[in-house]
Amino acid sequence: MLIAISLDEDLVAARACAREETTVPLTYPVLVDRDHAWAEAYGVINVPTTIWIDEHDRIVRPPSIAPADDKFIEFTKFSAEPHHDALRQWVLEDVAPMADTEIQDRRNPPDPQLQLARAERRLAMYLLRAGHEELGHTHLGRALELAPDDWTIQRGSMPARGKDPFGQDFFDFYQRREAAGRPGYDA
Amino acid sequence: MTVTLVFDGEAHVVEGEVRGDAVLLTPAALHEATGWELQPQGLCRGDVCVPTHALDGVAVDDLVDVAAFGAALRRPVALEPAASIAVLAESSDDLATTIAEGVAPAFTLPDLDGNAVALADFAGKKKLLLAWSSW
Repeated sequence: MLIAISLDEDLVAARACAREETTVPLTYPVLVDRDHAWAEAYGVINVPTTIWIDEHDRIVRPPSIAPADDKFIEFTKFSAEPHHDALRQWVLEDVAPMADTEIQDRRNPPDPQLQLARAERRLAMYLLRAGHEELGHTHLGRALELAPDDWTIQRGSMPARGKDPFGQDFFDFYQRREAAGRPGYDA
Repeated sequence: MTVTLVFDGEAHVVEGEVRGDAVLLTPAALHEATGWELQPQGLCRGDVCVPTHALDGVAVDDLVDVAAFGAALRRPVALEPAASIAVLAESSDDLATTIAEGVAPAFTLPDLDGNAVALADFAGKKKLLLAWSSW
């Protein structure tokens, strides 16, 4: 069962993207986590991220970067194919994707500073939705300072800040994060 | 007066007031929005209590200070008194405990048409959650 969860603030953009980007009719639920409360509970700090959950609701693969194809391989630096192979083996043959020790190693609990950033981001978005432009951007600025490596806060707020998430602002963020050794989870 | 408290990802408009930089709630509003209650033995929800001696500044006259309430639960708080709004995120300690248990946290989210969908709707199945975005 695939469950897709959008981290978009802009619901119109999320709807347009879900309906335009897929070549097959949507046969799976597409949900919206506008407040990033789900992302917070699952420790998601980037997209595209996948989490695998077994029949007993155990997390058998913690948050990992998982591109659907190799369109952005230049940025992600990993191919989608091994992920697809592991997924087929898990679904069809019940092959566990990771040893328990690796699952434990990959758990990446947040620190208090990231949690404060999430509170400030959430507050900022409520303020912006209510038309409090100046106050909203003040709190968004605090969130950005507190969470320099969190894509959901940095890149995710670019549309609200009038910045282009596919333009120079994104490249600057991407390069800063590469230089910092890609903090956070990976493939 | 009302204030907005965002708690566990939900916004509650409840009775309270702003004093200077502080956002304050009535004890009844706190209970309604969060399930937490000020009792003689401390700040309690169900069987869990934070003892009174660890509740620095939570009670202000007959009201509850949201920032101190957050501190007592070790939850980060973001405040905007000018808009009468306070947001509490999860405590990093609580999240670390949940993550260490390795069980998928329950959730309910709206789909693109606004219908509520829960993880529990797919109980007993293998599930792949995919976080995505237009950006």
